[in-house]
Amino acid sequence: MDEQELVRQIQDGDEMAFAEVVKIYKDKIVNFLCKLTGDYQKAVDLSQETFMRVYFKAHKYRPVAPLSSWIYAIASNLAKTEMKKMRKYTVISLDEVQSRVPIEAYRKNPPDSGLTRNLKKALDSLHPRYRIPVILKDIEGFSQEEIAQIMKRPVGTIKARINRGRNYLKIELEKASCVENSFTKKEEYQDGCA
Amino acid sequence: MDVPNLLKKLERVKAPPDFEQKILAQLSLRKRRKQRIKYLRPSLAGAFSAALVFFIVVNVFILPKKGTREVADLEKGLASPSIFQRGGGPRKGETIPIIEAVDYAGEIQSASREPQTIYILEQVSEGTSTKIKY
Repeated sequence: MDEQELVRQIQDGDEMAFAEVVKIYKDKIVNFLCKLTGDYQKAVDLSQETFMRVYFKAHKYRPVAPLSSWIYAIASNLAKTEMKKMRKYTVISLDEVQSRVPIEAYRKNPPDSGLTRNLKKALDSLHPRYRIPVILKDIEGFSQEEIAQIMKRPVGTIKARINRGRNYLKIELEKASCVENSFTKKEEYQDGCA
Repeated sequence: MDVPNLLKKLERVKAPPDFEQKILAQLSLRKRRKQRIKYLRPSLAGAFSAALVFFIVVNVFILPKKGTREVADLEKGLASPSIFQRGGGPRKGETIPIIEAVDYAGEIQSASREPQTIYILEQVSEGTSTKIKY
C-alpha cells in the first residue's frame, strides 16, 4: 500500500495501518537511534515514543516530504532532547579515555574489532550537530536533500556538517590507532622482560 | 581512512521481537488516557470557572467592604453604627454634623512645665456656621 494512503488511514485512527508503518520502519529507526545514542535499550524506548508520536501527531503530517523523512525527524528530535537530558554533549579528552581503559581490554578477545570499537567511540564523542547528518548519510543512506528536510537546515549547511563530522571521525580514528599501537608495544616490552 | 565505508560496514541492530506488540499495547493505554483527559479537561475548567463566579458574587454582593475611616469613627464613638447597616448609610443630600471634642488644656500641660497659658482660639467670622455636606 502507498505510504501516503497509510498516513491517511492513520489520521482516521486505523490501527492496522499504524501497525504496517511500525513493521516497515521499526528496524531502521531502532538502528538509527542506537547509533545516535550508543545505547540499545534507550534506542528501543525512543523508537516506541517515536511511533506513538507518529500515531498521535499524524494530523500534522504534510505530504510535501516522504513519510520516512518525517519519522526520522521525529526520532532525531527525540534523541536530541534525550541526549541533552543525559548531558552527553560533554567531550572526553583522549588522555582521559587512555587512562580509563585498562590494558586488559585490548589483550583479551574484544567483542568488536579494534577499528569498529574505535569508530563507535569516536561517533559517540561527536557532537549531535554533526553526528546526526553523518549517520543519516553514511549509515541510513539518505541524500543530502533528504537530510536537509529532516533537520530543517539548508543543504549547504548539511554538506558542511557531514564533511566536518567525517573529518573529526578520521582524526579520532587515527589518534585511537596510535594509542592502540603504543599499548601493543608496551605489552611486547613487558612480555620481553618477563 | 575511508570513514563512509567504515560506517556502512557497522553492524545494524534490529528491533526486539515483541516490539510491535508492546507498541500496540502502549497505544491502547495512551488512547484510554487521552480519552480520560478529554472529558476531564472541560469538567476541570467548568469547576474552576464556577468557583471563580462564586468568589466574585460573595465578595461583591454578599460581603460589602467597610471603609477604614468609617471603622475608625465607629471605634471613637463618633459615628452611629446604623450607617454600617445594609441600606442605613446617609442618603443623598442628607447632612451629618461632625462634632469633635478637643482638650487643649491637657495638651498644653503635657507639652511644657512653664506656667500655663491658655490660648482660646475662636472663629472670627460674621457668617453663620455652615454644615458640611457629604
